[in-house]
Amino acid sequence: MNRILSFSCMRPFIFFFSIGLFLTGCSTGGQHKKKSDSCALKKEGQVIPLISGIQVIRFVFENGLRLLVVENRSSPTFAYQSWFRVGSRDEEPGRTGLAHLFEHMMFKETKNLKDGEFDRLLESAGAQGENAFTSRDYTAYIQELPQDQLELIVRAESDRMHHLVINQHAFETEREVVQNERRFRTENSPDGLMNQELFELAFTKHPYHWPIIGYEKDLNQMNSEDARLFYLKHYSPNHATIVVVGDVCASQVYSLAQKYYGTLPPQNFTPSNPLNEPIQTNPRKKQLKLNIQVEKLLVAYPIPAFTHPDIPALQVLRSLVGLGKSSRLNQALIETGVASSVDLSELDDKDPSLLIIAVDLQHQKRATQAESIILKEFDRLAKNSVSQHELERAKNKINFDTYSGLGSNFQLAQFLGSLESIAGDFVVGMRQIEKIQSVTAQEVQAVAQRYLNLKGRTVIIGVPK
Amino acid sequence: MKKPEFSILSFSPFLGQFFGLIFFLLPTLSGAIETAFEQDPSLPIVYLNIAIQSGSVSDPPGQAGLTNFMGEMLLRGTSSQTKKQIDLALDQMGASLEVETRLEAMIFRGAVLSSQLKPFLELLHEILCRPSFTGREIKKLKAEITSLLQEELGHDHSLTYRKFNHFLFQDHPYGKSILGQISELQQLTHTSLLSHYESLIKSSLILVLATGDTSLEQISGWSQQLEKTLSSRRTAESTPSVKLQTPQDSNHRRLLLIDKPDRTQTQIYGGQIGVHLTDPDYFPLYIGNHAFGGPSFSAILMTQIRVKRGWSYGANSSFRFGTQPRSWSFHLFPAEKNTPQALEYTLHLIENLKEKGITAAQFEFAKESLIKSSGFMYNTPRLRIENKLLEKTLNLPQGFMQSYATELKKIQLSQVNAALKKFLKPDQMAIAVLGTAKNLTESLTRSTQLSPDKIQVVSYTSD
Repeated sequence: MNRILSFSCMRPFIFFFSIGLFLTGCSTGGQHKKKSDSCALKKEGQVIPLISGIQVIRFVFENGLRLLVVENRSSPTFAYQSWFRVGSRDEEPGRTGLAHLFEHMMFKETKNLKDGEFDRLLESAGAQGENAFTSRDYTAYIQELPQDQLELIVRAESDRMHHLVINQHAFETEREVVQNERRFRTENSPDGLMNQELFELAFTKHPYHWPIIGYEKDLNQMNSEDARLFYLKHYSPNHATIVVVGDVCASQVYSLAQKYYGTLPPQNFTPSNPLNEPIQTNPRKKQLKLNIQVEKLLVAYPIPAFTHPDIPALQVLRSLVGLGKSSRLNQALIETGVASSVDLSELDDKDPSLLIIAVDLQHQKRATQAESIILKEFDRLAKNSVSQHELERAKNKINFDTYSGLGSNFQLAQFLGSLESIAGDFVVGMRQIEKIQSVTAQEVQAVAQRYLNLKGRTVIIGVPK
Repeated sequence: MKKPEFSILSFSPFLGQFFGLIFFLLPTLSGAIETAFEQDPSLPIVYLNIAIQSGSVSDPPGQAGLTNFMGEMLLRGTSSQTKKQIDLALDQMGASLEVETRLEAMIFRGAVLSSQLKPFLELLHEILCRPSFTGREIKKLKAEITSLLQEELGHDHSLTYRKFNHFLFQDHPYGKSILGQISELQQLTHTSLLSHYESLIKSSLILVLATGDTSLEQISGWSQQLEKTLSSRRTAESTPSVKLQTPQDSNHRRLLLIDKPDRTQTQIYGGQIGVHLTDPDYFPLYIGNHAFGGPSFSAILMTQIRVKRGWSYGANSSFRFGTQPRSWSFHLFPAEKNTPQALEYTLHLIENLKEKGITAAQFEFAKESLIKSSGFMYNTPRLRIENKLLEKTLNLPQGFMQSYATELKKIQLSQVNAALKKFLKPDQMAIAVLGTAKNLTESLTRSTQLSPDKIQVVSYTSD
């Protein structure tokens, strides 16, 4: 959920990222390796090779703050992102939408900066893409800056991590902004309405049940005290990872982080694990009448959390089913004239979640027909092993997506920050990705049998009013 | 839109010392394909853009959508490969190939793992030189685009922008939909596609712009081979001559109310004809717009509409550009209950901007922000290639996109306010509002100060 709507670079409800192969022996990235003499690494830093010559330097501070730095001299700029391990999964019933609404509040007044000064300070320093987003599992604050503005952003971000001032008037104004965001993303959007219904139907106990943006009623009954308590619980150094990628020296970033964040106290609060979702034993289905001209379909299957051992095989399955025009569902639905588009969700949730297939039907075609085709394709996957050729193609598509998703400081920072947030540690996330290369046809068939279960599916159909 | 459809940030002259990368624009021989390349070995991937310097404004009368349709058809079969075989080959390589049609350019955007560049280039050559335009694929694509146009009716924002654009430009080609209209799409034939292909896919209109983990020799060698093949096949004798007139504003304010049931929120676009990028007033207006409509959280619109009043999640203004002056528009999407006052207040702010201009503090802030953030225009090889593409397709002087920081530094407050006074025409603006008409018509009449005969109400499903 973005703080501001920017259609040219708008991100969806779920924050997507590409995952793929981390190889050694690929083409080396010269820009990533250059380091000046004045940039000697502090002994506290741990160097972890990532991909294509890229090295991540990791620091952990006494107060629990984690810092990841990638030095990249290709331009005199850097990306600076603050990732907090809190999202809508950490909310309570009756307080839905608080994580996202609080994200908006983080741009307000602090003890050291008046309302609006944070934005002005950064913008006048040449900041680019200053924004934030909230997912089910995490909240991130992002921006890029010219190389000489490192201290400014470390100071400003550490300030709002600990010295935010939350007043009722600002809270009420921002709540109205969020209500407008909700009207835009859900209330007046067929896709948003269907997405909300899907999660409400598929999850009965787990907090993934409610929308990230929250319910209108819940938003209206919250006040600034709710926000203040949320801040105290979740916004502290031990709940955050700072990711810096670009024309910086890791040693300098470390020193500045020590100076500005080092004295901030950790919070003792430990978020409790959400309730486990009971195993779904019967299909769930709902039809919505919407202001649309062509039918829409969402089919979802329960899948495990991102760190589960079955995820690499599910990633390959997802690729061969839905990535690229030659994928099975593209061929079965679009090439046959049934659908105009097919999309599959990412498998990147911290807790057990859903593999979602979203289909826009062609004129006068029925969503029920598309559903039957999907079930047939999944049955075929469960019964027959895929060929080596198809397996290789699925992995190539994943590799391509990975590389094309790492082309800028911003993208690389986002990649690391999201892995850190959903896997608990980006190294753990990388291991999951590395395993994709060794997935076999038998493993793909096994996960198809295990997870593409007819009884476990949830279906939402959108039809014209 | 928060931003124009392409980035118009500037970059600092000092950036050059950091790149250390290779950039070439090969000398233009008669009829030869211009090629630009920047090496970037940081990741094992190559990006290739094949730009055709003609876009949907070249659609013949009665065949709206032809250029986009022809571009899509090129990816749907050659004389030796079916669409399915092409799709399989691309996925097997780990590659993507899409076509993007703009008003004045069509761009084939390819990306491939560098280890697979050779077969990718061979396939791309065949796609561009030996299309099949089979009846089966024509029929399929018509059905897909028709469905996409119908699906768009569920997306209030993009639908409002498309209708606003048409309302602003009326019959001018800039007002046409790139995808076309359902009725006219049905008229497209193999003959019309082939004829349009022969007119547009020719060496003199093609640019090759690449970056990534490969060499200049490989890219320029491929360009030369493409040029050789294209020159040996039949092409139309002349390119369809599209002499675009300069679009004109209406002589009065107008409102288009797009009626859609059950809306709790409206989408509002308003604006006027813009300026050309080389207009002497452009850089003063660029600063003026930044102060007024962003993309900045400190801009006037954002502060007044969102931060202070909470009326809309987004509130911004921006320019769009073409070889002719295109548009300047504002966008907001308030709750239905706040729509009349939000629109009225926005129009008041624009009138104020015209009469009083921006303050010295607003000017200094906008100018400083733009100059200091200018490095982000050129901080990746892909952006630098993209800028080169813009310069070529919008007929800009070479190096124009690199001149921003220098040009911005020269601008004074008095120039900004004089330019705003001359440029803004609040009394002649076109405004499009998507919402539920029965709840809005009367209040919008008051907030726009328009008589009912200046308000046009159309159904959201109208073509």
